[in-house]
Amino acid sequence: MKVTIEFLGTQRTAAGADRVEIPITARSRVDDALDYVRSKYPQLKLVEGMVLVVVNQHIASRDQVLKADDIISFLPFISGG
Amino acid sequence: MEILKQIKYKPARVAGGYTDRILRVDLGRREINIEKLPTDFKDKYTGGRGYALKAIWDGTTRQTRYDSPENILVMASGPLGNEPGFPGTGKFIVGTISPMTDTFIDSNVGGHFGPLLKLAGFDALAVTGISEKEAVILIDGDARTITIAEAPQYDKETDDGALAFGDRLLKEVNNGQYSDCLAAVSAGRGSLHSRYGVIHSLFYDRRRHRIRAKQAGRGGTGTVMRAKGLKSIVVRSSLSKANGNHPVDKKGVRAAGRALKQVINKADPTQLHLSAWGTTVLSEYMDKFHIFPVDNYQYGQSPDSAKLFAHVFLDNYFSKRIPDGCYYGCNLACAKGAENVELTRGPAAGRKVSVDGPEYETVGAVCCMGIFDPQFVMEYNWYCDQYGIDVISTGVTIAFFMECFERGYLSIEDIGYELKFGNIAAAERCLHQIADGRGFGKVAGQGVARGKKWVARKYAARNKASQDEVMAELDKFGMEVKGLEFSMYISKESLAQQGGYGFSLKGPQHDEAWLIFIDQVYQELPTLEEKAAALRWFPLIRTWFNATGLCKLHWIDVRNPEAAATDEPSKNLPTLAHYVDYLNATTGSHKSLQDILDDSERLYILQKLINLRQGKGTRANDQLPLRAMAPAFFNEYQSRADYYDRWLGQNGGVKKLPASPKQRHKLLIERRRRDYQQLCDAVYQRKGFTPEGIPKREIVAKFGLLDEPAQQLLSEMGV
Repeated sequence: MKVTIEFLGTQRTAAGADRVEIPITARSRVDDALDYVRSKYPQLKLVEGMVLVVVNQHIASRDQVLKADDIISFLPFISGG
Repeated sequence: MEILKQIKYKPARVAGGYTDRILRVDLGRREINIEKLPTDFKDKYTGGRGYALKAIWDGTTRQTRYDSPENILVMASGPLGNEPGFPGTGKFIVGTISPMTDTFIDSNVGGHFGPLLKLAGFDALAVTGISEKEAVILIDGDARTITIAEAPQYDKETDDGALAFGDRLLKEVNNGQYSDCLAAVSAGRGSLHSRYGVIHSLFYDRRRHRIRAKQAGRGGTGTVMRAKGLKSIVVRSSLSKANGNHPVDKKGVRAAGRALKQVINKADPTQLHLSAWGTTVLSEYMDKFHIFPVDNYQYGQSPDSAKLFAHVFLDNYFSKRIPDGCYYGCNLACAKGAENVELTRGPAAGRKVSVDGPEYETVGAVCCMGIFDPQFVMEYNWYCDQYGIDVISTGVTIAFFMECFERGYLSIEDIGYELKFGNIAAAERCLHQIADGRGFGKVAGQGVARGKKWVARKYAARNKASQDEVMAELDKFGMEVKGLEFSMYISKESLAQQGGYGFSLKGPQHDEAWLIFIDQVYQELPTLEEKAAALRWFPLIRTWFNATGLCKLHWIDVRNPEAAATDEPSKNLPTLAHYVDYLNATTGSHKSLQDILDDSERLYILQKLINLRQGKGTRANDQLPLRAMAPAFFNEYQSRADYYDRWLGQNGGVKKLPASPKQRHKLLIERRRRDYQQLCDAVYQRKGFTPEGIPKREIVAKFGLLDEPAQQLLSEMGV
């Protein structure tokens, strides 16, 4: 099983990639994906409280269990100009 | 320049953020007067939008239109404008009766004009009358003169250009030199031919060594300016900007500014990073969540959208490593720009120009026309600026006519060419025609509301159809409310944002309430009551920014990390605390956040009264085009059928969904219409309005606004 992590906006430049696929197990959670990105792309600065984790376009909790082919992205707070 | 009228004056000193003076210029009578404000005026009307609202309420009538001599063009900063120690203090408000909506419009704009006007001795400038000759106004705090002069004539290209004329004038009045002691506002020839002309705020940028422009873009403020025969206003003051407000508590101002700058420095680079990317960074997020207004707001995404994402502009156009704030002391500095952009189209093809922008709204306007070419975005940006027309209204109006053409309401005979989505040549041709008032541009320059009527007449006559029936169809996708075109966000999947647009007093511009992400993505407003509460709170706090001379982005688009621990993170209350401290340190007040909201509510109610007087203030005026609430046509439903069917399953209130997709589409529309009416009821109740959206007398009285005209107006409304 795998999930895809999408890099949006400035994250794409920092990561040097549009997306990355990572393997998961039946017990993998959002936190595991976050840890993976933090370790592989420390330059992304995914700071607690500064970004929201989105799975398949829905806000996800840190302990949400991942499913095969989920698409994960990290969303900054956007509140309009 | 021939001087038509000149007075000498002694500039009032700024104290605690105020001069307590309004400069009144009557161009028709060639009169210049300085009005000293009563001491309690600022307590009641705050500044900025508040001063503009009060001037319009007292000085105009329900018969006043944008080109009436008595219409007032107000420009006002606010008590917190002009403080380099605090970020985002270059904003000022342009307020007037709009050619689009026939009621009060205001548009906030950055730059140096507002701060310099205050240093030259004025909290606000109010221009009335119509000049016989094309005129300019010069407010010279150094020479201590205020002058109405005949507008100089240079050459046709300079005289026609909103950017070029202001640029040249700024040099001419300063012995051929640019200086950051001067700033100007200007309007171009597009304002003579369209209802959505903008006013540019022009200022000298030392880092780029050129004049830069920001725009009071919405609602036709530039059209009002040119209707008055006024081409430009220049203000000069050499007084120090540092501590220019003479705050009551200088240390307190510094501390509040330092605290907010630290939040921005820490949080922005890990969030939207506006300081590096500008607001174009939003395009990608809007596309991802189906909010990018592709093809006249039909589709929220496009496979081509990535061509307009921020990195494209950053890599190919924006000057990098230049802090691009529009006023001193701003460390968010989101006002990006590009140099030496070679124009490939239009009358200036071949020229290399500087472009201020694009902002997200410009990118959105281009995708609204179904165009995904970044070079066209740059050229569209420059031409709109040089002509002095609103990038939003221009794009939305052209997109509306594109859809009219594609759905068969208009033909080549009506327009003169194939105005279809994605047709760059046609869009560009229409743009130049709007600015010149030629051909189909005469129609397009009137905006969507008037355009709908024109199309209905044409189509009904040609097809022997009922004009009312045609109009009902056009109302589904003509993206305007109260006469103003929508800003560049699709609201159909966020009920809260539908309210954000529908209840917005000026028309569907997002600066009263932008709740899409809070509602649709973060899902922080699950109930009708929570949506209604947000639709009361956010317009009030946003009003306060527009009354005080402040930019909102530092509060609203950079989330303070401490907000996560609060009950309502989206309000970003820890950052607002710095603003309250800044206010109290500047003016010497002892206000709480609630006091600020109360001050704003007074202004909000006053604006509502003006809307009621001008015939734009009731529930009927808050209604939305169908496309703002739901997929208006079957093709839109089909594009996300699975999503809509899921939505119906959860919210449709039926045990079994209809079998046919067309029936499901019909049910979806019924549900969305019902939901919006329920929202209207909840929001009006929350705001103290009647079910018809009219403020109750006790609310008007509570804020000291129940004067004789207000009493009469409410009586007429049966309240």
